[in-house]
Amino acid sequence: MSDHGHERSGLRGWLDRRYQITPLIEFLRHKEVPKGPHSMVWYYLGGTTTFFFMVQVLTGVLLLMYYQPGEATAYESMRYLTTKVPFGWLMRSIHCWSAHLMIISLVAHMFSTMMLKAYRPPRELTWVTGYIMFALTLGFGFSGYLLPWNKLAFFATSVGTDLVKSVPVAGDWLLHVLRGGPDVTANTLYRFFALHVVILPLLFVGLIAIHLLFVQRQGMAPPLGQKVAPRGMKFFPSFALRDLLLWLFCLMILLVLSVFLPYGPGIPGMEWELGEKADPFEPAFPGIKPEWYFLWEYQLLKEFPPHLFGLEGPQVCLLVVTLLLAVWAIIPWLDRQAARNEPSSGFSDFGWGAIVFLTFLTLKAWDIGGLESVDSPASLKVIARTCAWWTLGLGVIVIIVRFVFYLDRWFIFTGAALLHVALHGLVGLSYLTAGAIAASLAAAAVGIRILSARKTRASLGGVV
Amino acid sequence: MKRLLPCTLICSLALAVSAADKPPIPEKLAALLTATNDTGQPVITGEQRTYFDGLNDHITALLSNATETEIITRADHLASILALGLRPQKMEVLLQDNCVLCHTDPEVQKPETLFSLSPPTGSNSHLNLRHVVDDVHFARGLSCSGCHGGDPASDKLEHTHVKEWPATGRYKNRAWVLSFCARCHSDPVFMNRFNPALPTDQLAKYKDSPHGKLLIETKDPRAPDCLSCHGVHGIRTAKNPLSTVNPKRVHETCAACHANPSTMAGFKTPDGSPMPTNQVAEYRASVHGRALLERGDLGAPTCNKCHGNHAAMPVGLSSVSQSCSLCHAANASLFDGSKHKIAFEEHKWPQCAKCHGNHGIGKTHDAMLSGGPRSLCVECHQQYAKDNPACTATAEYFYASITHMNEGWNRFGAAAEHLAIRGLDVEPIHDKLNELADTVKQARSHIHSFSKNSFDQVAAPGNKAVQEISALVDNANSEYRFRQLGLAGSIVLIALLMTAVYFKLRRLER
Amino acid sequence: MPEQESQRPTRRSFLDLLLGVSAIAWLASVVYPVLRYLKPLPRAGTGGPTRLSPAELAKLSKDAFVIVPVSGKRVLVFQNAAQQLLAVDAKCTHEGCTVKYLASESVIWCACHNARFDLDGRVLSGPPPRPLPKYAVERQEDGGVLVVAERTQA
Repeated sequence: MSDHGHERSGLRGWLDRRYQITPLIEFLRHKEVPKGPHSMVWYYLGGTTTFFFMVQVLTGVLLLMYYQPGEATAYESMRYLTTKVPFGWLMRSIHCWSAHLMIISLVAHMFSTMMLKAYRPPRELTWVTGYIMFALTLGFGFSGYLLPWNKLAFFATSVGTDLVKSVPVAGDWLLHVLRGGPDVTANTLYRFFALHVVILPLLFVGLIAIHLLFVQRQGMAPPLGQKVAPRGMKFFPSFALRDLLLWLFCLMILLVLSVFLPYGPGIPGMEWELGEKADPFEPAFPGIKPEWYFLWEYQLLKEFPPHLFGLEGPQVCLLVVTLLLAVWAIIPWLDRQAARNEPSSGFSDFGWGAIVFLTFLTLKAWDIGGLESVDSPASLKVIARTCAWWTLGLGVIVIIVRFVFYLDRWFIFTGAALLHVALHGLVGLSYLTAGAIAASLAAAAVGIRILSARKTRASLGGVV
Repeated sequence: MKRLLPCTLICSLALAVSAADKPPIPEKLAALLTATNDTGQPVITGEQRTYFDGLNDHITALLSNATETEIITRADHLASILALGLRPQKMEVLLQDNCVLCHTDPEVQKPETLFSLSPPTGSNSHLNLRHVVDDVHFARGLSCSGCHGGDPASDKLEHTHVKEWPATGRYKNRAWVLSFCARCHSDPVFMNRFNPALPTDQLAKYKDSPHGKLLIETKDPRAPDCLSCHGVHGIRTAKNPLSTVNPKRVHETCAACHANPSTMAGFKTPDGSPMPTNQVAEYRASVHGRALLERGDLGAPTCNKCHGNHAAMPVGLSSVSQSCSLCHAANASLFDGSKHKIAFEEHKWPQCAKCHGNHGIGKTHDAMLSGGPRSLCVECHQQYAKDNPACTATAEYFYASITHMNEGWNRFGAAAEHLAIRGLDVEPIHDKLNELADTVKQARSHIHSFSKNSFDQVAAPGNKAVQEISALVDNANSEYRFRQLGLAGSIVLIALLMTAVYFKLRRLER
Repeated sequence: MPEQESQRPTRRSFLDLLLGVSAIAWLASVVYPVLRYLKPLPRAGTGGPTRLSPAELAKLSKDAFVIVPVSGKRVLVFQNAAQQLLAVDAKCTHEGCTVKYLASESVIWCACHNARFDLDGRVLSGPPPRPLPKYAVERQEDGGVLVVAERTQA
């Protein structure tokens, strides 16, 4: 027994004598959040994502008390839950809204850590665990969507799981395992239920623990390029209470949305009215779309022709997407400049380019500006043009802000993405052709820039 | 690319094999098939050539025979026959009928007597070849000679035509047409060979009808005969949409005379007033007309449904409700048991038509029951039932009941929509609204009983339903208010907590 | 500054009080809906008298007793030695196990802790603290059996 233990009284002393919690308490007392010239607002996003996740767990457990998976009981139990159970409608509404808000918060968190280069060494694995959690969250969304067993969910799941077929070699096996059969049936419901309620939560909680452990051990990433770290903000009580304030505010927003828009905002891909029970023998209704966070991939798949370079269109698309996602995963190892604690606006630019790419596809998937007959070639052209104008507008604003306020000088990726959008939407080239042109131009520009940077460094005698 | 070459080889082999089976085309026919016009274009188009290639041997032989016997000598003549695209059975009839074959040859005939695919309008003797080959008689093998006489196999021009017809005046007095058509159509044994289901009593019915008496007894040249309604050369079955007696076109056929003031001048209705000519116009705007002509509902009646077709006559006074009750059985049976029937018979009013009209039957509306400007009840009752104020009261009661239920349905339907968007459970409301809608329909029908008791039996559940729905909607609204209140309360508490935390934070950081 | 000294503790403690009260109030506003949500609704059973199904009637004639659901409760319907129809609640008042009728001993018996009840539901021996509530049951003209609503123990 240490002398310190004897000094402390009460609960703290009792615990300290058994578990030596004093070092932990001291660590928490001195824990700091880095402060810099930039706003600290980005540091809160991980917390809000966690908050929404905790809301999901709580409301999810409550929903589990009444929900029954099964062909004859899933929809009926949901109906009972949302109409007869006191506050049942509220629990379901909160669960749906919190899911979407969690994803929005998560995406903001991911892109803000990306722009602030928080992934640079020694925090590479924090980025990787976060990346895996992002994938798991999308899995949560996808598996949870089927559980009410209504028409919308049934068709969205059929369309979504179909993609798995395109994986080479294991495609068919994966499809059967995912669906519990060749088609979406009650078996799919059981598997998705297991995924949503047990498998994914276990994995996610494990990963959160690791992710937070890393953050505790290493502290939050300081802003890039700081030579001397100034005094940070104390985590307890300053940051923690601000965090709490923000969480309470998020809760308020969540409640307002849940009560006034219990079925979602009514945007396609963001609506969850219970509707009618799923009926496998009815044809899918027109305008069926997946959830909004999958819309970019859904639209990208539509841009590919049935066959390309001897492979099936979806397979090529899957390959492209896998490559892009793989690059995204290993960014901490690719970004040498950030590793040297130098500004690397090239990778910021890559992030913005990705945002432009995703935005355009998502807008297009929403048929913005479309005519009466949405599938007609004329309508598709109009949609492409309208979305192109919007994306270009937003993109130009981003470039100006970055140039003026953040003094960025890398615009190759954002420029290429905007060029792609312009070539496809305004000039009228096919999506893939425009993409190929923009990508090759970008590659050439990057190559030139890297070579000239090397030459300049060499001419300076290798001095960095 | 790799697959193109073997494919071409196999395809050409197949063609060669199939071509080898076909006997070679006789010279004369072949020459016509490959003939070109002044500008060097082939006269026989690709489509016509494809049609020809698809013909069986028998038809091809008949065709070639026609060229050999010099009946078909020109490529454009051949083209006009191939352009019809007839099936083999009709082609056989046509090719064995020299009347058609000669009369379609521009070189042989004068333009006025020529058959053509697109004749100039207004020409009496210029026939439409398309009509002729579509004719139901032609399809069954009764071609030109069947009516006109002569020998179809003969290649010489004979004038044994008009053997069966009056030599003179056949346009002025058309009574001869009756026996001409009835020669076959009133002979059951003969008609049994072709269409056992077709009735053979048309002439008998027609003879006793106003049309028949007009033609036979009065000898009026305006009177219609078989051909007036059925046409002459392009007679099609009633099921054919192009037939003049197809249900959707019957009113046009009748209107040809009955909507023409000069044709109808001088005729009178049974009660002595001049014959109106607005029936078809009224019918077209009526619910029956719109149902049949706009929505294509073949259940809706047209002229012959109420008037008869061959025995067409005005609907007798006592027959009006019989005629309507063929479809509107429920309302008719309610009416027949009611006191209005006795009153209407006394006044000699045409039952259903007195309130609803005959040709221009419009959509019924609840205001017909009210005391307002569109009321039907009040006018008559003031004039004829002055001593019974209870009747007006009953009509008002009907109106009030039905409009109350209807308004309830509209109001609560809108409220339910409103509530559904806000996430409340509206299924019980929708179920009750459906019940209410059914009750309103039944109640509207039951006014034909003109009895408050009878009506109440049906309307009472409706009123009850309105009350129940009102209660459900109120419940839902109060639930929604509860939710809003709960939210407001939660927001207040969260705001309070946020304020406390904020000030605590400020204090701690000082 | 003596005023400040005395002022500061009151302002601080007011703030703490406010914080504490608002935190508890907020927590209550979260916990209340959750608790109401968790309490299950009463089971929607037909409230009226219950007729025995043919299968239940068959079991009654074979075993001299049958347990049927009535308004969400379990009811023991049995025939005593004098061929009279009786009915009691089948849920033992001790721990809730389902009782049975022993025709050979003319007694109602609970297997869980060897409780014994007489045919009126009164406790004869064993741990149950209260008698079994009785139900009114009657035989009908067409041979059917009807169990009517609960009658409290006399």
